[in-house]
Amino acid sequence: MIQERPFFQRLIFSIDWWLVFSVMVLMSISFAAIYSAGINYELSFRYVSVQLLASSIGFVGFLFFTGFNYQYYKYIGKLLYIFSLMILVAVLIFGSVKRGTKGWFDFGFVSFQPVEFAKIVFILIFAAFLDICSKESKKISFLIFAFAILAGHLTLIMMQPDFSSTLSYFPVTLVLLFTIGVGFFRLICIMILGILAVGIPLLATFIDMQLEFLQGKMLLTKVAIFLKTGWNVFYFIFVILFLIMCGWWLLWKLKIKIQIVYPIVLSVTILLGCMASIPVKNSLKDYQRKRLIVFLNPNIDPRGSGYNIIQSKIAIGSGKFMGKGFKKGTQAQLGFVPEQHTDFIFSVIGEEGGWVMAQLTLFFYFIFIWRALMIAKEARDRYGSLVAIGIATMFTFYVVINVGMVMGMMPVTGMPLLMLSYGGSSIFSSLCAVGILCSIHSKRYTYC
Amino acid sequence: MVWQKENKFNYETFLEKHKVILVFFMLLFIGLSIRLFYLQIIKGDKYRKISQQQRMYNTRERAPRGIIYSADKEVLAENKFNYVVFYHPLKAHQNSLEQVIVELNKILDGKIKQIANKDLKYGKVVKLIDNLTVEEMFKIQEKKLNLKGVSVVREPRRVYFHPEAISHVIGYVNEIRSNEIENMASQGYKIGDYIGRGGIEQEYDKYLHGKDGGWQIEVNAKGYQIKAFKYVTPEVGADIYSTINLKLQKVAYDALKDSCTARGAIVVLDAKTGAVKALVSCPGFNANTVGSKKFDKYLKNGNSPLFNRTLQALYPPGSIFKVITFAAAADLLNINPSEITFTCTGSFEVGNRHFGCWYKPGHGNLNFIAAVAQSCSSYFYQLGLKLGIKNLEKYAKKFYLGQKTGIDLPNEKKGFIPNPEWKKAKLKMPWFRGDTAIFAIGQGAILVTPLQMACIMSAVANKGLRYKPYIVDKVVDFEGNEIYKHELKFDDKLELSDKTWTLLHQALLESVENGTGRRCKLEGIKIAGKTGTAQNSQGKDHAWFTSYAPADNPEIVIAVIVEHVGGGGLNAAPICKKIYEAYFNIEPTNEFNKEDDQ
Repeated sequence: MIQERPFFQRLIFSIDWWLVFSVMVLMSISFAAIYSAGINYELSFRYVSVQLLASSIGFVGFLFFTGFNYQYYKYIGKLLYIFSLMILVAVLIFGSVKRGTKGWFDFGFVSFQPVEFAKIVFILIFAAFLDICSKESKKISFLIFAFAILAGHLTLIMMQPDFSSTLSYFPVTLVLLFTIGVGFFRLICIMILGILAVGIPLLATFIDMQLEFLQGKMLLTKVAIFLKTGWNVFYFIFVILFLIMCGWWLLWKLKIKIQIVYPIVLSVTILLGCMASIPVKNSLKDYQRKRLIVFLNPNIDPRGSGYNIIQSKIAIGSGKFMGKGFKKGTQAQLGFVPEQHTDFIFSVIGEEGGWVMAQLTLFFYFIFIWRALMIAKEARDRYGSLVAIGIATMFTFYVVINVGMVMGMMPVTGMPLLMLSYGGSSIFSSLCAVGILCSIHSKRYTYC
Repeated sequence: MVWQKENKFNYETFLEKHKVILVFFMLLFIGLSIRLFYLQIIKGDKYRKISQQQRMYNTRERAPRGIIYSADKEVLAENKFNYVVFYHPLKAHQNSLEQVIVELNKILDGKIKQIANKDLKYGKVVKLIDNLTVEEMFKIQEKKLNLKGVSVVREPRRVYFHPEAISHVIGYVNEIRSNEIENMASQGYKIGDYIGRGGIEQEYDKYLHGKDGGWQIEVNAKGYQIKAFKYVTPEVGADIYSTINLKLQKVAYDALKDSCTARGAIVVLDAKTGAVKALVSCPGFNANTVGSKKFDKYLKNGNSPLFNRTLQALYPPGSIFKVITFAAAADLLNINPSEITFTCTGSFEVGNRHFGCWYKPGHGNLNFIAAVAQSCSSYFYQLGLKLGIKNLEKYAKKFYLGQKTGIDLPNEKKGFIPNPEWKKAKLKMPWFRGDTAIFAIGQGAILVTPLQMACIMSAVANKGLRYKPYIVDKVVDFEGNEIYKHELKFDDKLELSDKTWTLLHQALLESVENGTGRRCKLEGIKIAGKTGTAQNSQGKDHAWFTSYAPADNPEIVIAVIVEHVGGGGLNAAPICKKIYEAYFNIEPTNEFNKEDDQ
């Protein structure tokens, strides 16, 4: 039954050429844009060569992951999880600090950012967990377990602290939970809980800083002073918890019956968030605080984050239909747009290539994501589908957040545009992700 | 073992979710594409324009302002070139502003204390110090190597030759304020431009300021120069020829300054054209001190030297107003000028109130002419009551009170003429007969400017022909083309009967010959004038004197007011006399006549 074909024939048959083609187009656009963006820094050659090197390493990774049967990940899920945690811990101990984030392994010439890789590993692990425990997906304990997995990664990344990298975890988690069949109501509850759990420690830190640095908005400062005096903060939390319980009891009396678990989980989350805020506040170093401030309130940035956004909007808008031509963008070449080779690469494409190139880039990105979703549809088992959907989600949200930011629709976060931005780690891990997709694709018709 | 077949139920629910996800992602991409289309296609032109603008930077080379001349060809305002040090960060690897200041202070012995304009934004030029001497300039040039980013530029600076005496006519210049720039931008003003304030500098700024030049260069985001495009030579501003007679102006200013309070105003008009020969407001200021602490002192000075009293200060006209009452009476009431119709007892009763005449014992028997010459208030109370408030108001307006004269200087006030309606609306009180009585002698709520008083006299001198007062005769640009010339035309004619004009002349002549204005009498020249003593709530009376000469063929008109000194005949008339002496070259006693001899 199993017909042995020659290796190359099998490869050609098993690879999704649309997927690979779109990746190739995106990468060639990326090289041109990085070259042009680097002229202003007089680093074009270095950028392009580093990117080429990373891409070729990435290509090896791509081939490796294409060849590796993705189904094994499911069985070594626990191992992978422990491994990823170890890497994240290691980077906290041995890593080097760049721009306020302790997230790089520095090997002299090359440096590597393990977060980029951890994101993909997380998709593999999380999909494995969901696939194995899918029968229990209606239970609360299932959700709690799922979030325990997420929390492991998030805490370690937050400790670097790299807030923007954690952003992609949330959509991936939510979309995968949705795919496995968790109800809408619960997803919304999860969102609220997630916002509370992350928001409370951030808010606590922020309020502290409000007192130290800002003293800007009167209301916030007053609230901060109120909470800081004596035992007020404890009374405040107690009152909130009491109100939650009262509300639940009232609803119960009104015949709207909600399981007791929900208010309890809500209360516990708030309590945990409050407790977590104490170590978060105390353990933050100065540079970490600074990064957090800029993340929460970008206007403190001396040149103003508004400046970045305005300039990148001008850059994109001034490209008009046909663009100003390769290496001829005044915004890019005169350095008006900061970080134009990394996070703001899309502004260079929009300015020098015009609407034609920018729309083409978005189009090929969509082709890529569409193919990823098709791979999910055709996958041989549910695990494969989940992994493919996870990867598609990750890419989609990177594009939406990054391009949205460059066009002034989203706040400034340090998220790169995968496969386009300059950055060795991100291009390498992106290509590995493409490799995994190809692996899922190649197994679609193989029976064993 | 494909799950599509093995686990059909699960796969179908998965397909539903898959469809939702696909549609959701597609919507996200459509959203991004719409935004992209909006930015690049719909708003593309706007952003292209901004991107062009922000890479261009113009260095400024100031244009010298035009020169202002007096009628006797004296230079009133001119430009001197001085050296200014700028911090001009147009290239990378330059010293920081702080380093530069430390270095410069070593050379200039700590002359730079602070910089007004601290916001160093993307290549914006910072002015470090101006008014350098040539030696200092050379010292800086020697050490140029240590001072990267510093440039020494020759810049025009406004110089005023006759400060104080002529300060209000000329005004001064300083840099445009940031809160003004919004309104002024439409007229082509930019940040950093100099703008005239007050006087000719303000009114004729558009001719005077010329056009700044400089290099147009391309800069990068840090403001560093990438390349230069073109150079524009600055255009010199046009010169202004004013009608001011410097000699008269100085005499008038000195005369006012020597008075008791040294506060007041003088307007000298050419009776035949309306040209302003002198416009003095005392105390004056020194416009060369603009920007220094000395100038700030003027702002706090209680005598308000920056205030142009000739057109901005409002005074009650006092007895000068009797000219108008007289004209109204001569026109409307059939009065025999030589007939004695009234006896002044020093006091006049309206209802149950007593109104006093300035001469307590009373003037005794008076005819129409003598009443003006003696400035008898009692006579005019009864005249005013006979005429009624309606007629008085009508004639006050006929003599252009309560409206601007239209002189080509900024911030002119229009004064105020009260009437019964105003009193009712504002004070909630009816108009009494007593109000009419004091209106007839120019007291009460009526307010005028010295320039308006001069214009009344000018109209009287010309028998009703009224010329608009003007101060700039012509404007000539640097190529010699006349781009503005004052056109002589009388605005309007004040229609009164010939008999009225003759009577008025007679009365005013009599006033100087034998009446209250006799301290202005000059040998050989007939002067017609009227004194005034304006009571006011702030202190002693203001002294007024308005006149024209020669009475038969009027050449000049003079209005004098000295604040808070007392009677007009005693204090204002002698000042006026000094100006006539200077004008007619009588009694050659001072240095100006020596100049004339040369």
